[in-house]
Amino acid sequence: MGEVELSCLAYAKMFLHASQFPRCSVNGLLLSSSPAEGAVCITDCVPLLHSHLSLAPITQLALTQVDVWCAQTQQRIVGYYQANACVSDSSPTPCALKIAEKIFEQCNNAVLLMIDGEKMFPGCRVPPIVMYERKDARWALKDKHTIMLRQWEETCSVVNQLFSSGDQALLVDFDSHLDDITKDWTNPKLNAKIMELVSPANGNV
Amino acid sequence: MSSVSELYDVTWEEMRDKLRKWREENYRNSEQIVDVGEELINEHASKLGDDIWIIYEQVMIAALDCSRDDLAWSCLQELKKQFPDSHRVKRLAGMRLEALERYEDANKLYDSILQDDPTNTAARKRKISILRAQGKSSEAIRELNEYLEQFVGDQEAWHELSELYINEHDYAKAAFCLEELMMTNPHNHLYCEQYAEVKYTQGGLENLELARKYFAQALKLNNRNMRALFGLYMSASHIAASPKVSAKVKKDNVKYAAWATSQISRAYQMAGRGKKENKCSVKAVEEMLESMQITMS
Repeated sequence: MGEVELSCLAYAKMFLHASQFPRCSVNGLLLSSSPAEGAVCITDCVPLLHSHLSLAPITQLALTQVDVWCAQTQQRIVGYYQANACVSDSSPTPCALKIAEKIFEQCNNAVLLMIDGEKMFPGCRVPPIVMYERKDARWALKDKHTIMLRQWEETCSVVNQLFSSGDQALLVDFDSHLDDITKDWTNPKLNAKIMELVSPANGNV
Repeated sequence: MSSVSELYDVTWEEMRDKLRKWREENYRNSEQIVDVGEELINEHASKLGDDIWIIYEQVMIAALDCSRDDLAWSCLQELKKQFPDSHRVKRLAGMRLEALERYEDANKLYDSILQDDPTNTAARKRKISILRAQGKSSEAIRELNEYLEQFVGDQEAWHELSELYINEHDYAKAAFCLEELMMTNPHNHLYCEQYAEVKYTQGGLENLELARKYFAQALKLNNRNMRALFGLYMSASHIAASPKVSAKVKKDNVKYAAWATSQISRAYQMAGRGKKENKCSVKAVEEMLESMQITMS
């Protein structure tokens, strides 16, 4: 299958989400504002849950709301990410596969991204992600060479800066939004902070 | 680096009281506990009196949560000095071994506590936590069931078991655990709401009706529970849209869904008031409610 590009914004928020809830499994949706043809460019993500990932009502609610928001903002849902509570196990759970299937029904180059907790320590040279794509009616590991993270060093530096400034606490996921609906799961403040940190020289992030 | 007392302009008494509040309400805000507790211990130990021991325990556990083995170790040493033969302190030593992923050593420690005192629930629960940390869910479930046969009133254990079952997609058994919790905690809106979510997930008309009833019950107990409100909306909508229901049931559920819609809209209007940045989520909800109404009629 084709290439997948992961933007700094999407990566940073996923990483922050997993870091905010180290003892829980977390999940979220991967979005793209690019056209549907060609490489899949994951330009943003929406962090969803940090509890009861496999229960239906809130997941359905979140998927519906994100769908609506995407339509309003010319984005598409192109994938799903999950970080398991058990750090040593980064394999997709049945719940992850189910949601990824649903996304695949609407987007035929959808990706399933698992965060590898064991590689999340500071100074790790390798992006802590494992990607799967739909091949022959199952989800298969994607060839690492087709996954692109532009400016990986810079992305790491952006994430580090977010932690040092304390801005990582700005991240709101859908679960937190339901606990307090004045918090916005589209994360406009955090997005702005991240875009500020990303150097203007790095065009497409 | 400024101290907590400087940063937040608080006295040592206020810091001590905050720690007590977090202890009593079982908060797991470990980074904060470490910040406040470490300063309290380092700067004000002499003023704390006998409180210091329970603070050492609290800070130690929080330190383990934040990978601060240095702090955890020093707290543990103080406790060991003061209470040399205590099972409670031994359990803390075990927790430190768990944090270092030395599970076999931790288990040995807990087994020695249980040999001395077979009714020691804390040690048994730690052993179950180890199974969970190792990803051995079925064994954790089995052990927890055995534990609950003996200690049938342990709320924490029932809740832990419900979580384990939910992760394993065994919704019927999760529902059973939540039923136990609802029986013993009839005023807890969270248990009602979680039970409703499990029923909704199980699916089918009967379960959806139960879900709706328990979402409604959760709302009665706490009318600001947004999950319950959305849950009520979604279950009522699904029931109303089902071809298998009578006209009366459909009508009733349309009413419930409409009520929920108005409550949701109101809640979002209030939340979005004066906050430009909330417009996105508010608009998303409005559109979603509109689109779902269309599919229902």
